[in-house]
Amino acid sequence: MFIKSLVLAHTMAAMRLKSEASKLYLSYLWWILEPMLYVAVFYFAFSYLLNRGGENFLVFLMCGKIPLMWYTKTLIKNSMSLTTGKGLMGQRDFPKFVFPYSHTLEAAYKETVVYLFLVAFVWLYGFEAGVEWLYLLALVPVMLLLILSTGMVAAYITVYVPDFRMIIAMFTMALLFVSGVFWDVRALPDPRMTELMLIYNPFAFMLDAHRQVLMYRTAPDWTQLGYIAGGAALLLLIMHGWFASQSQRIARRLYS
Amino acid sequence: MTETNLALQANNISVTYHSRTGLFKSFKFQALNNVSFKVKRGETFGVMGRNGCGKSSLLRVLAGVYQADAGELVTHDIATRTLLTLGLGFDATLSGADNAILSMMLQGFSREEAKAYLPAVRNFSELGDFFERPVKTYSSGMRSRLGFSTGITTQTDLLLIDETLAVGDKTFNAKAEKAMMERIDSDQTVIFVSHSGAQVQKICQRAICLERGKLVAEGDVKDVAQEYANINDKKLD
Repeated sequence: MFIKSLVLAHTMAAMRLKSEASKLYLSYLWWILEPMLYVAVFYFAFSYLLNRGGENFLVFLMCGKIPLMWYTKTLIKNSMSLTTGKGLMGQRDFPKFVFPYSHTLEAAYKETVVYLFLVAFVWLYGFEAGVEWLYLLALVPVMLLLILSTGMVAAYITVYVPDFRMIIAMFTMALLFVSGVFWDVRALPDPRMTELMLIYNPFAFMLDAHRQVLMYRTAPDWTQLGYIAGGAALLLLIMHGWFASQSQRIARRLYS
Repeated sequence: MTETNLALQANNISVTYHSRTGLFKSFKFQALNNVSFKVKRGETFGVMGRNGCGKSSLLRVLAGVYQADAGELVTHDIATRTLLTLGLGFDATLSGADNAILSMMLQGFSREEAKAYLPAVRNFSELGDFFERPVKTYSSGMRSRLGFSTGITTQTDLLLIDETLAVGDKTFNAKAEKAMMERIDSDQTVIFVSHSGAQVQKICQRAICLERGKLVAEGDVKDVAQEYANINDKKLD
């Protein structure tokens, strides 16, 4: 049953990728263009106008913006996933976690290409490649767990409180400012603050870990990474069970 | 009627919607009020009623989309159900072919099985090149043709049909009706819902009539259609 749902989620994701690409002129190129345009704007504002950032600021920005954008864009898609899935829900009863799963898969397929681009860019920029870059393979599953677990919470709440998507928009904006995208969490004036941020803001930790791996070829803090993975996995387990038990209630709510 | 030849049994089904109209204001609307009936295996059962009588809510409960707020639906050996209804059940950004595959997968078929059925669906739908285009570019007639073709091509234990025959052009309607009649003759359990008493009379043996969520007539389709005609006449006066 679970495998069947996963196949369904994958099928939906693949179909959406295909239809989205046929709609836009530059089609798949946007997957890379979009994050790069954001990075270009930030680079212009901080490096050129404010004369901040320092050495390798472009790569620094990319290592922060790309993973964070993966998270925030998928969160927004996931939060609307049940509401937009109403049509299909009207056909029969099936596990509703298929919707956030399919949007998360869709984003993950896109992000594979973006990450390959990121790695290639960092290398071409002049950073030395090393086996340590393989630590990325440990960061990506944790990102997925964070995206899916919180995305399911957002999707569920949005069914009952449609206004919640306003909160999500503000939340993603807040993440951009407090997670160290354009400033270095390790260069804060108060070192205690750095420590607190890395412990209590999983996003600050994850972005920093991307930089540690790609720019400095340093392993992430495994203990902290383990805590984040464990917490997200627990949340995912709870949400998965909850979605399975609430399947007909969710449809009922959307059709009243 | 013994229990063994029953396909499904609706016992005192009620559905009540609570809609919010303001921050603290809401109103209650009872879409289905204590509705009970029995459907035999292999029969074509009719449900007639005017707009807003609770037909859509009843179909969704029968299809298992959601549960009734009160009462229960007992089914006997029904593993797969197919709901044929207009203007619902599609992802409008995806092509007709993709939607047909998703529908069949939701009915319980594997992706490979669904793909194998696809040429038959495309053929029956007469959509031509539109079959590969997004559903949002379809006319309402094309949507219903897609829905009907997907539902009729695959085998299902319970077929729920919502006025699908009323749309589409004449030749397609004739074909759809023929395909339906084949199903009806082949021991398929069908529940046919329509606002047209004449249409229900044409294909069903037994029927019920709903008015404002309540069951007002039940039994032989001729008697029920007569009762339904009386209700309609009364409203005209």
